[in-house]
Amino acid sequence: MSKSYRSDNSNRSFSTRLYQLTQRQRHWFFIAPALIILLLVVIYPIIFSTGVSLFRVTFASQSRPFVGLQNFERMLGNDDFIQSALNTLYYVVFSVSGSFLLGFAVALLIRRVTAGKELLRLILIIPITMAPIVVGLMWNWMLDPLFGLVNWFLGLLGIPGQTMLAQASTARLTVVLVDIWQWYPLVFLIIEAGMATLPRAPFESARLEGVSSWMIFRRLTLPMLRPVILVALLLRTVDAFRTFDIVRVMTDGGPHLTTETLSLYLYRTAFTFSKLSRAAAGSILMLLFIGLISALMFRYLYRDVEVG
Amino acid sequence: MMRVPTSERVLAYVILIVMAILVIAPVLAGSITAFKPQIIWVSSPPTWIFEPTLENFEFVFFTRKGWVYLRNSLIISVGSVAIALLLGVPAAYAFARFRFRSSKALMQWLISLRMIPPIVVGLPFYAMFLYLERGLGIGLRDTFPGLIITYQTFLLPLVIWMMRGYFAELPAAMEESAMVEGYTRLGALWRVVLPVVWPGIVATAILNFIFAWNEFFLALILAGNRTSTLPMTAGTYIVRTRVEWGNLFAVNLIIMVPVILLTIALRRQLVKGLTFGILE
Repeated sequence: MSKSYRSDNSNRSFSTRLYQLTQRQRHWFFIAPALIILLLVVIYPIIFSTGVSLFRVTFASQSRPFVGLQNFERMLGNDDFIQSALNTLYYVVFSVSGSFLLGFAVALLIRRVTAGKELLRLILIIPITMAPIVVGLMWNWMLDPLFGLVNWFLGLLGIPGQTMLAQASTARLTVVLVDIWQWYPLVFLIIEAGMATLPRAPFESARLEGVSSWMIFRRLTLPMLRPVILVALLLRTVDAFRTFDIVRVMTDGGPHLTTETLSLYLYRTAFTFSKLSRAAAGSILMLLFIGLISALMFRYLYRDVEVG
Repeated sequence: MMRVPTSERVLAYVILIVMAILVIAPVLAGSITAFKPQIIWVSSPPTWIFEPTLENFEFVFFTRKGWVYLRNSLIISVGSVAIALLLGVPAAYAFARFRFRSSKALMQWLISLRMIPPIVVGLPFYAMFLYLERGLGIGLRDTFPGLIITYQTFLLPLVIWMMRGYFAELPAAMEESAMVEGYTRLGALWRVVLPVVWPGIVATAILNFIFAWNEFFLALILAGNRTSTLPMTAGTYIVRTRVEWGNLFAVNLIIMVPVILLTIALRRQLVKGLTFGILE
């Protein structure tokens, strides 16, 4: 019987085998178009950019001498690049932690209300849906020293007018606060969705046994929400790291580069100062950095989340 | 339902209502500026009672060619979402239904694309478009196809992730029984699965539309006079010396209102899209 099977097998015509091969590999017919486009629009540009960073390319000149890692050295030795990297780090730390704490708090609070819950949720998520550039422009108006509502309100409380965006000491914090205003609802939505999936039983039995709410929160809620918390932190970190739109319209990096982010600095290097190769080197450094951060967070995340 | 002491509930209400006011007040206060006549744009203290006018909208729409930018934004957003769905839906179907060795690694690779800052692709795109134009005479900078292709960098991975989730929710028996009845795999997908997964496709399309509609950075680098989008023109109402606030908020409203309406329609699906479906 096994013999006849084998002879049957070897007698299969080429076309049958080809057919079986396509059946086995049929997923590629579905995936290949998307994959090819993604290789073309994401991977190829990154390779291209890496290439550009190894030469001295400008928009003005035709000659493009090979300079090795010189552009990377120049970038790392450039005070403005380091300054914008440190600013970006500031944005990441404060915008992520601020929006996380606020979003988490709102997620906990909204579980305690009944009537009007849907309306509250709807209002709270408006900022996420706004274009960041619109948010920035709106807050420019709110913060205007002459007629802005913030100063008008402070005036009612007897606090003299402030020029938050024009002063080096307050500009960075102000931009971060606006960023938090826009993105804490995202954390809120994610945490709330995560809490909705938690099983009821452990919480009920803990409550029956008289465990305090604080202990329930620390020993049950937080550990069970760990993967959800990581997703929220990961998404916020990645977005804060690339901050551009809000800063571009609110301060454009000023005063004195105190609000300059990496994206803004590299944009300027490439398009205002036409130093394409140096900007490319900077962007590759930026990619490596965010790659490292998210890889670490991913490893932590996938330890207990099943994806795929 | 959780049993909550009344005092705790009152406190929750108070805090949440304050948060909601902090969200809605700037949006509303700013938006009404769009309906103010020019002389009270910058009045201090702010004027709350006035006769609303549509002249700011008229000005930005016709005098400043706002309708052209609205049209550009629509062409780019709808076009890029259509392409992303066309390429992404079949791929998502394969990831949801076929078991193959590299599937998990590929899905994780797709999430990792979400981490790439736009400047990392925007910069080489600008240079590549420039070389294509100089070398081969193919002009993609400041064209709709150029922007639509570029937008795939953030739309396509999201479409695949969201749609994979929707396909995975359906029982595989659905197509299998259709295939027993003589449909091919593609026929079953087209005739049996797509009609059922339709709401998921709509949700995916809406969320991706919002992302494309709000996009600013890549448009700033790669669009020009012919393809300027609404978010790009918003910035043009700031001139060094003065800002045309009424006009600016009119543009802001034109950008904001469609998205807010779509969000209300979509709110239940929002988390899935915003988190890339990592939470499932």
